[in-house]
Amino acid sequence: MSFLGRGASSSNQGGMNTEKLEMAMTELDMVTDVFNRLVSVCHSKCINTRYAEPDLNKGESVCIDRCVAKFFEVNKKVGEKMQAMGANATAGGGSSFGSL
Amino acid sequence: MPWPPTVPLYPAGQEPLPPGMTEEERPQLMQAKKYQDWMAMGMESCVAKTVLAGGGGFAIGAFFSLMSASFAYEDPLLRQQTQTNLNTTQKAKEIFKDMGKGMWRSGKGFGKVGALFAGIECVIESYRARNDMVNPVAAGFLAGGVLARNSGPKGMLGGGLAFAAFSAAIDLFLRRTPSDDED
Repeated sequence: MSFLGRGASSSNQGGMNTEKLEMAMTELDMVTDVFNRLVSVCHSKCINTRYAEPDLNKGESVCIDRCVAKFFEVNKKVGEKMQAMGANATAGGGSSFGSL
Repeated sequence: MPWPPTVPLYPAGQEPLPPGMTEEERPQLMQAKKYQDWMAMGMESCVAKTVLAGGGGFAIGAFFSLMSASFAYEDPLLRQQTQTNLNTTQKAKEIFKDMGKGMWRSGKGFGKVGALFAGIECVIESYRARNDMVNPVAAGFLAGGVLARNSGPKGMLGGGLAFAAFSAAIDLFLRRTPSDDED
């Protein structure tokens, strides 16, 4: 019985591990994607490409603070909207768009 | 170095230590880094910039006044009526006191100019979140206007325009493209 129990638990554990691993990998990919987009958007908006000095000056650092704050704010709002759309879609019996 | 460049993501407590540091020193390192970041943030703030510019202006004004005091001449007949029969030490003390008063006055003036200009420029730059030529010109105009506030509206306008032109010239010089020879 202990054998069976241990065997069963280990296979369960293997299944959970793979699932969690997949979720963790997807989340890391998403976080990296958000980071890369954030960096490229705020760089193109805020930083003058005439690289005159290595440090960020006051205007650039203020611009980057505001850019990052707005980005995350917009990200959150868009995510909430899409969740609501997805919930409506599934509540309304599904659509070709599918739930996200 | 890996290509394409990837994000250096590390779990929260496990960023790589600088070479030569052990794991036990990590909390001290984090605290030291926190204080360093606060110091840097403080140095870049508008208040610190105003104070530094005011101090620098005071120093420059005092220095110029000191240099110009060596070229000062005076009319001995004018002074004789106020103080007579002073020995050399007291005369020297009087001269140094006058020099100190002149340095203080001139330093205050230059300090006001520097602090006003730097403070206004920092505020404008923080508001616009951009770094270009508009900031020093507008700051110069406002600072010149404030400094000439006792001369009426036309005086303020003229003073503002003059100081704006002066600060535009200085900033064009500071932002010039460096020559290609060295550095």
